[in-house]
Amino acid sequence: MCDSKHQTDWLTLVQNAEKTALLKNGIMKVHYKMPNGQEMVEEYSPETNVLLRRAWRKQGLKEESHWEVELGDAEPQFQKLETIGIVESNSSPYVTKRLTKSNIEWRIRNLPYDENVYRVTANQEDDCIVISTTNKKYYKKLEVPELQRVNLRPCQSNIKFTHKFKTLIITYEKPKEVLELEAAVLKELKSVKTVKDTDLDCKTS
Amino acid sequence: MAGISNAQVHEVREITRIERIGAHSHIRGLGLDDSLEPRKISQGMVGQLQARRAAGVVLGIIREGKIAGRAVLLAGQPGTGKTAIAMGMSQALGTEAPFVCMAGSEIYSLEMSKTEALTQAIRKSIGVRIKEETEIIEGEVVEVQVDRPATGVGVKIGKLTLKTTEMETIYDLGNKMIESLMKEKVQAGDVITIDKATGKISRLGRSFTRARDYDATGPQTRFVQCPEGELQKRKEVVHTVSLHEIDVINSRTHGFLALFSGDTGEIKSEVRDQINAKVSEWREEGKAEIVPGVLFIDEVHMLDIECFSFLNRALEDEMAPVVITATNRGITRIRGTSYSSPHGIPLDLLDRMIIIPTIPYTEQELKEILKIRCQEEDCEISDDALIILTRIASETSLRYAIQLITTASLVSRRRKSTEVSTEDIKRVYYLFLDEHRSTQFLKDYQDEYLYDQGANGQVTETPEMEVCQ
Repeated sequence: MCDSKHQTDWLTLVQNAEKTALLKNGIMKVHYKMPNGQEMVEEYSPETNVLLRRAWRKQGLKEESHWEVELGDAEPQFQKLETIGIVESNSSPYVTKRLTKSNIEWRIRNLPYDENVYRVTANQEDDCIVISTTNKKYYKKLEVPELQRVNLRPCQSNIKFTHKFKTLIITYEKPKEVLELEAAVLKELKSVKTVKDTDLDCKTS
Repeated sequence: MAGISNAQVHEVREITRIERIGAHSHIRGLGLDDSLEPRKISQGMVGQLQARRAAGVVLGIIREGKIAGRAVLLAGQPGTGKTAIAMGMSQALGTEAPFVCMAGSEIYSLEMSKTEALTQAIRKSIGVRIKEETEIIEGEVVEVQVDRPATGVGVKIGKLTLKTTEMETIYDLGNKMIESLMKEKVQAGDVITIDKATGKISRLGRSFTRARDYDATGPQTRFVQCPEGELQKRKEVVHTVSLHEIDVINSRTHGFLALFSGDTGEIKSEVRDQINAKVSEWREEGKAEIVPGVLFIDEVHMLDIECFSFLNRALEDEMAPVVITATNRGITRIRGTSYSSPHGIPLDLLDRMIIIPTIPYTEQELKEILKIRCQEEDCEISDDALIILTRIASETSLRYAIQLITTASLVSRRRKSTEVSTEDIKRVYYLFLDEHRSTQFLKDYQDEYLYDQGANGQVTETPEMEVCQ
């Protein structure tokens, strides 16, 4: 009961949002304007219907707010060191997240330690997946918004991880509810008319 | 963390406490227990049980924060503790809700209109609690490494290694951050937090694991545990600003610098409307909360009829603060009119107020107050002298008796005594006149004063009240 309620919550949010779709360089981009003022952009691969990137812009108290990437490659950031003054060194580990048809995947690059130091556990209390190392060099809590949207908690049996080429790859098998929600959202998106990129181009000659 | 910073603030205040004693500096609260029953003597308050209980109930209203736009009138003779009760309320309210204190005559200024001054005072007493999420880095410093170019000029390159109990990360540092790390004298073993949005560094203390690094440490060195979990945390910070501050910052002609100079001038009502709209928008989105505070207007009879009618209207606004007023007048003329009204306040406004009366102190209570004041002024007084002083207080006025404490203690110090005796009190009693004796003196020597030709003693009879107005 509760699950289905949450599912419709996310679905109604998507349904009520003002949507614009755009096909560019073989990627379908969808822009959502939520009723509460938040903005979300998604990028789909039209062939596989898999979500490649998702970013949020939340309206803060200050006008200028930047995009927060939930999924896919992060926005490249230049000049960050000069403006903020402190930034992780480029040799330090960083997380990227991506979706496949059946899995949620995280890749943590720049982790040079052996495979046997990593512990990946599902933390039910904090509603997240915790990565820790026995040599106390790396620790990270990963939130899983996909599961939160269907009101599920991370489950240890769905987690697998491997370590290869200084990269730790964690895969989480999508439960049935998540797949259903994705299918419902995709169906909703089919109804949005796609604007061809060429339509927007300004003719210069 | 909040505990730590609180403790720090407390420490600092103790060192730099300014040794000046004001008329109400002995008041620390309303002196009520948890069920709002007044204790006889507590937190610097003595007697006035009914009024204090009533004030406690009003305080409850304010703390709830739900009811806006109530007015309270503290009415009583001079020297019956009206201002003391208001001060007690402000102390009891704590730093949570804004408390703005003004005198009725403050609104008369050449630079702004009366209603503008009142509006500003009202908006100063409404706080907006804003919630924001920031990212902070919190960890123990493992290593700070700064490379200067060999030529001495050019960009410095810095690296900072931080750790928690679970992890360790290397950060690259920009020029500004290197400088502030140097200024804060951050070194290996310190536990620090860095606000990512502003780049502000604060040192929490030294890590326990480094406690044996040095044989001797300064008294200020505080040892803390190494932080746990992730280095970067999202933290919700809450800050409270008053509506007036938002007004000033947004009124384009002045800019935020006006906040420091105090020269804010008049703020256009359009600006205020926009801010009200914005704030209510934030409120709906859950980003901000309204904290209605207290506006205390002392000597409220000094306001004139225009101000009273403005207050009438302003109190009906849903964002209005609780207005506490105090007056020592009986039935008198309303300023700006020729009508008389109780307390010099129009009847329609009086009707909207809850009135708390204060009654004259009993002799026993006077004695207790004088004792408290003696303690506050660091003045030892003998029992006999205290009895005499109490007598003086009940026959002349409490304020006069309090004046005598200071002067008598000076006199006693001159004769190198540690205690104020009856002799000292007697001496200052003859040195300084109270109001009655002064009037008597004037009456006696009326003819010898300047510009007195033809006056027949009637002039001295003129009540002071009239002169004030």
